[in-house]
Amino acid sequence: MADNGPLIRVEELVKSFGSNVVLRGINLSVESGEVVTIIGASGSGKSTLLRCINLLEIPDSGHVWFHGEDLVEPKTNVDALRENIGMVFQQFNLFANMNVLDNCTLAPVLLKKMGKEEAKKVAISHLESVGLSDFIYANVNSLSGGQKQRVAIARALCMNPEIMLFDEPTSALDPEIVGEVLNVMRRLAEEGMTMVVVTHEMAFARDVCDRVVFMDSGVILEQGTPAQLFQNPRETRTREFLSRYLDPED
Amino acid sequence: MAEQHGDQGTRRGKVASFLLDDHRYVFLGTSVLALIGVWMHGKTPSAFSVLGKVPILDTLLFGICCAWLAVSAVALITKLARWNSYQTTWAKRPQVVHASRIGSYVAWAAAILLFIDRAILGFCALVSEATAASSNPQTFLGGAAYMVSQSLPMYAQGITTTISLAVFGTIIAFFFAVVLVFLRIQEPDRSDNDFVRFLKKVGSGFAFLYSTIIRGTPMMVQGLIIYSGGFMIFRNMGYSVSETRQIWSYFVAGLVIVTVNSTAYIMEALRGGIEAVDPGQAEAARSLGLSQWMAMMHVVFPQGVRNAIPALSNEMIMNIKDSSVLSVVGVFDLMFATTTVAGIYYRQMELYVVAALIYLIITFIATRLLNMLSKKLGAQEVSELPANPTE
Repeated sequence: MADNGPLIRVEELVKSFGSNVVLRGINLSVESGEVVTIIGASGSGKSTLLRCINLLEIPDSGHVWFHGEDLVEPKTNVDALRENIGMVFQQFNLFANMNVLDNCTLAPVLLKKMGKEEAKKVAISHLESVGLSDFIYANVNSLSGGQKQRVAIARALCMNPEIMLFDEPTSALDPEIVGEVLNVMRRLAEEGMTMVVVTHEMAFARDVCDRVVFMDSGVILEQGTPAQLFQNPRETRTREFLSRYLDPED
Repeated sequence: MAEQHGDQGTRRGKVASFLLDDHRYVFLGTSVLALIGVWMHGKTPSAFSVLGKVPILDTLLFGICCAWLAVSAVALITKLARWNSYQTTWAKRPQVVHASRIGSYVAWAAAILLFIDRAILGFCALVSEATAASSNPQTFLGGAAYMVSQSLPMYAQGITTTISLAVFGTIIAFFFAVVLVFLRIQEPDRSDNDFVRFLKKVGSGFAFLYSTIIRGTPMMVQGLIIYSGGFMIFRNMGYSVSETRQIWSYFVAGLVIVTVNSTAYIMEALRGGIEAVDPGQAEAARSLGLSQWMAMMHVVFPQGVRNAIPALSNEMIMNIKDSSVLSVVGVFDLMFATTTVAGIYYRQMELYVVAALIYLIITFIATRLLNMLSKKLGAQEVSELPANPTE
């Protein structure tokens, strides 16, 4: 839809697990083409917020607007909207009973009513773009962590989504192979994909994204351009958090 | 696969090494065989015995065994007497060690020949004698051989029934169990309206109730209820007793009983397998836009079945054994054949042991076959492994 509003608008989102309130009224909008990074300490609610955006977690209250439809509303066809929201998980979650190609073609064939051959062509082009064209018939269990995550990205891209959510995509990887996944994400950002990334990779946040959101104990404490947030944070809590990540490098 | 081959290789290597190399257990190991040879020589030769007709050879073999035992005894005494300096005695001289290895083969041959002559040919003689006998021999083995040989058709029918009940029962039950397990594990999705939610609850509740009742009652009781219940239903539908016996035959009833019983257990096995699948798999499928049902069919269920393969083959083995309780209904399985034959001859013990042996052989073979099958199914992933680079 070509309306001028933000692609995703999260409004007063509240989520708790039992008595533990994880999100305490989150407001966030993501414009089309924007790359937003969510940072914050473990347990601050970053991942939960991301999972609420495509309703893998069901919020207690609040709204998630996507294309003028509220995903939280029980009547909304969430499955149909999810086709446009790609998600990449920390643990890759590749389908263990399929090879790389079938991982990528399953959803397009089932949901986009694509022919097998066409879906295969699309999948191969995406697998090429993440540098895995030699592995299309490989079993997913035979891949390294970095390769798995790149397959997961290709799998999400095969649905041609309007927005990609990344839930700590490099946290389960060896430091040496984090780069190969970040490079793919960097190129995606350059191509204009709308992205929301939960990460601990501060260099990625600083160099690639348009806006950094800092979360602390269930609220968005501060947000702004990387330059603002990293060089001149307003809040003491932000400064504390960033010093732990940035000082050793500088 | 490669690992297993390697494993087998080293195991075979160990056996070969024990048989071929010089080692410290040559005396002891061969002495056990030689003792068996001596024991066999003490038995009276049977009608089939070859050595019994050639007494010189018989005595020679016996002598070889005795000689081996004597040499071993001397070596043992030497070892006990010179415990600390045994390595320097005659028994450890390389020529002696090598000679003892070669001598051990001679002793083996003697002992094995004696064993074949007395035990194996003796058993054959006993069986052939018993089968040709005009009345039931009083000995245990003879009686068993006589009664089994007189009732071979019954045993054939019983074994066939037992195996086909287990095989067909398990396969049919698997399909019912798949349906039931889908009913059992379904959860209301957010988009479901109240009616769908209600249906799902009813389905899940039904599957739970079914599993609880079937797994909580003995198969024998279920068998009696289903058999007589089925009989009653057909009678009430207006069929005569003989017609009912034709439609609701013992075999059909037995198959229904095994299926009904097995469905509950297989359902639980499948449920365990499905619940063991990482929840991230379903999440990833849902995040792509797949519905709950699609995620189950294409992603979770195939992995769940693979997880359940060991439990499923176990269920097949259980069915081979458990179908024995169906003999109370009148299903002509192996147990029914056994009790029938036992009734004819008024001899129980021998035939029960024979039945146990036959069950053991069937389950042993079935276990092997199922292991091979499940390895094949489980190894499907591995065989796909070599990446198939397209140009």
